Amino acid sequence: MNQPRDFVIPGPVFCIGLAVFAAIYLALFLSSESQAAILVYMAAGGMVLLLNNMSELKPRLSEAIKGNERLCNRLAVAVVLALTAAFHADHYTLFLIGTILLYIVVVLGLNVQLGFTGVINFSCASFFGIGGYTSAMLLSKTSLPPLLALPLGGVCAAVVGSILLLPVLRTSGHYAALVTMAFALLFRIFLEVNDALGGPQGVPVRSMSLAGWDFGSDLVIGDLQMSFYVSYVLLGLVLLCLAFSFVRRIERSWIGLSLDAVRVDETASACFGVDVARWKITAFTIGNFLSGVAGALYAMMLAYISPANFTFGDSLIFLSILLLGGVGNSWGVVMATAVVVLVPEKFQVIQEYRYLIYSALVLLMIVFRPHGILPRKTRIYRPGEAA
Amino acid sequence: MSERILDCTALTKRFGGLAALNALDIHVDRGEVLGLVGPNGSGKTTFFNVITGIYRPTSGVVTFQGRDISGLPPQRVYHSGIARTFQRSRLCLELSIFDNIMIGNHKRLDLGLWNNIFRRSRFEAQYEEGMERAARLLSALNPDLVARMFRPVGDLPMIDRRRIEICRALVGRPSLLLLDEPSAGMTHDETRQLMDEILNMGSYSDGLTIVLIEHEMNVIRRVTDRCVVLNFGQKLFEGVYDDVVANPVVQEAYLGKDVE
Amino acid sequence: MDVGFFAQFVINGLMLGMMYALVAVGFTLFFGVLDVIVFSHGDVVMVGGFTGLSMYFWLERMYPHLSPGPKLLCMALVSMTVIALLGAAVARSVILRLRAAPSLNTLLATMMLGTVLRESIRLFYPDGANPKPFPALLPKWSVEYSGLTLRLDNLILFCIGALLIVSVHLLINRTRLGLAIRAVAQDEETARIMGVNFTLIVLVTFAIGSAVAAFAGLMNGLYYNEINFSMGLLLGAIGFSAAVIGGLGNIYGAILGGFIFAFLQTIGAVALPFASAYKDVFAFAVIIALMAWRPTGLIAEKTSERV
Ligand SMILES: Nc1ncnc2c1ncn2[C@@H]1O[C@H](COP(=O)(O)OP(=O)(O)OP(=O)(O)O)[C@@H](O)[C@H]1O
Ligand SMILES: [Mg+2]
Repeated sequence: MNQPRDFVIPGPVFCIGLAVFAAIYLALFLSSESQAAILVYMAAGGMVLLLNNMSELKPRLSEAIKGNERLCNRLAVAVVLALTAAFHADHYTLFLIGTILLYIVVVLGLNVQLGFTGVINFSCASFFGIGGYTSAMLLSKTSLPPLLALPLGGVCAAVVGSILLLPVLRTSGHYAALVTMAFALLFRIFLEVNDALGGPQGVPVRSMSLAGWDFGSDLVIGDLQMSFYVSYVLLGLVLLCLAFSFVRRIERSWIGLSLDAVRVDETASACFGVDVARWKITAFTIGNFLSGVAGALYAMMLAYISPANFTFGDSLIFLSILLLGGVGNSWGVVMATAVVVLVPEKFQVIQEYRYLIYSALVLLMIVFRPHGILPRKTRIYRPGEAA
Repeated sequence: MSERILDCTALTKRFGGLAALNALDIHVDRGEVLGLVGPNGSGKTTFFNVITGIYRPTSGVVTFQGRDISGLPPQRVYHSGIARTFQRSRLCLELSIFDNIMIGNHKRLDLGLWNNIFRRSRFEAQYEEGMERAARLLSALNPDLVARMFRPVGDLPMIDRRRIEICRALVGRPSLLLLDEPSAGMTHDETRQLMDEILNMGSYSDGLTIVLIEHEMNVIRRVTDRCVVLNFGQKLFEGVYDDVVANPVVQEAYLGKDVE
Repeated sequence: MDVGFFAQFVINGLMLGMMYALVAVGFTLFFGVLDVIVFSHGDVVMVGGFTGLSMYFWLERMYPHLSPGPKLLCMALVSMTVIALLGAAVARSVILRLRAAPSLNTLLATMMLGTVLRESIRLFYPDGANPKPFPALLPKWSVEYSGLTLRLDNLILFCIGALLIVSVHLLINRTRLGLAIRAVAQDEETARIMGVNFTLIVLVTFAIGSAVAAFAGLMNGLYYNEINFSMGLLLGAIGFSAAVIGGLGNIYGAILGGFIFAFLQTIGAVALPFASAYKDVFAFAVIIALMAWRPTGLIAEKTSERV
């Protein structure tokens, strides 16, 4: 009963079509400079989404995606690879793609905390920053292999996060919100006044290098010259794939079930043996770890980090990406991150006004469409299982 | 003299100045259905909450199967074999039927990070088993639900939600089941149907003992072996249904409240 | 360390504490009636300061010979009225619409609203991106005593602030309006049944809290002689912290929390040997520790969840 009766195009073909469409659309969008063209593309994208929502296509599309999950995951990776190939010499575009990939990792972590477990975290940008500063310090002060900075960044973020565990576990609701918010402000101020970490000016970060492959200089293969950001995009993609499948597997397991139970009703779940504290600790730590790992790589990609990269405002952006994408929905997160990162960067007309427009939009969204672009469905435990 | 599965002595719970339970002695025999009745606010739900560890007793002892469980946190009480339903249904409405039932199966779930995430075959075996269990329970209560296992509970009517709550309580094969007004929010017919189903469920978990809080005296008459009447947190009367309704003290406590 | 130097810190601490208490009172009032945190409140304080400043420029142009006293009075009245209306509008258009939503949504929505206010001032107020000097309108008179300067303007600000808090307290506890507010705070359903116009009371409460915030904004300008579009974020966070460590929904708690926060900052500045720059880090760290110790604030609400 997976397929509607009059399903003429087979699911896989549908998915491939969708991926090709997405790749072409994104390529056009990313390559255009003229503001008018970008406006047209955004309008077109919006129209397509709207039409899809209203038309017969939508249920078929979601059937096809659900039925061919593995294929869709691979296609998504293929789209990113295709875009990377298409823009292989374009520093700026590749940097945007890399940023999106790493932001998604952070928001996935936040999704485990807030979306699954309901643990509020207003300081995920701080944990992102802890990862970043860890890699900056490790690479400049020690001779550890740079790749090690990624897990260590995650571990540092998780360890620092564990200082907050006690207050986070004991408080709930607004009180818990305050704890992480206070931490976000504290962290930013701390970075600004701490000279060892570069103070308000920040610190340079050495680039990644992997077995002789230096991420800091442009890649030359044969007579093909590629931007050095290609390396970061590829590594970011690997990281994202790992994080994505990790989070997916958590969701589709008894752990995901326990996390959800904690979020929805702590008291009732405790009456059925759910260890509320254990799952809150697990979720908080996993989320901070993911933020930290992403932050470590992000710092290397930026080559220079400062406190201004990791403010409370950035935490709010991560949170609202999650809300826009649909809390708990991993694919929604992917889409929302792309929109939130790309639109202000490409649509320069609004550059100056972007925070204003962005916050106004999120505000409207919360008031009028609180479940986000893609609301979460009920859990299935195996890909392709019927709902 | 049958074996006592639950034994509470001098159980007291105060909220500020109010004694919601006042030096209460209640025992439950293995295999029986005990009815717990009493006017609104007499402390019935509080009794459940104290036993299941949601509230710590102010004083007194709760012994379950020979072990002192007073003051244990709820998850420990659950693991010792007590399951319950809630007066105001507390299902996770946005989760699926299957998820809700599996929450009750926590005792049997392997929650280790490694097995859940990296050794999926382990997980899948448990998953199959869980599906089978859930399907068996559901088909005893409402076979239609088996095919809708992955639909959110929020889409279901009240009686089905009650059924799922009961499945959630039963799936872990508890020794003692605490039912807090399972008929709340349902019609008479639905209540009767549900109670019959619950009694039949006794066979799922052998030798199941039940404590039932209920306002519908009809239900109490049909299903209970023995009743305890509470008033202001104290035991007013104890005995079989016929003695309860005939007792003048009980009638007085209920005065102004319709006894059917 | 000499006494004068120390006393100077105490005075600064008291001034800050009063400012924070004024902000925290708003947080706690709103939480009382609707159980929500209105994080944009800090930015409302900032808008209050800017409204006062605009009024000042307008008065300068229209009535250049007006003396500072009436000018300040005018500024305060206009700013408090405008901000009261702004507060009521926020309640009407955002907060009341989100009644059914999870509390996180409300919190996030009001954070976004705060950003909207902040960015609007930055972009649309003339040269709003830079700090604005705030005119010194209070008498500059001061007494000096063994190194300690007691300034009249500070004293006046402190007294007006205290007066404002006391009047809010009396309003809540001694008037019919206050009775209605308390009724709504206790139990919305019952209050409705008793004939209280729920929406009206919520709007009035928001108006009151916001008017107090407007004064806090002016006080901030007069105290620091400068206002800044971005001051609302930190003020909001501090007001929120103060209200929470005091215990949400409790006016005394808010006042206590405000002074505690100022006290922590002052301690941080005086006592930390390495650098006074860490005073905010210290203050927030203590807040986090306090939350771990008393998860629902120092004056805790005494309710347990009913099952
Ligand atoms: N968490 C709590 N805090 C304060 N008082 C409480 C709490 N829980 C229950 N009470 C009080 O304890 C008394 C007993 O309440 P309980 O819910 O046990 O009654 P009940 O017998 O279940 O009534 P009903 O038939 O209405 O369900 C009531 O007066 C109630 O107000
Ligand atoms: Mg009850």
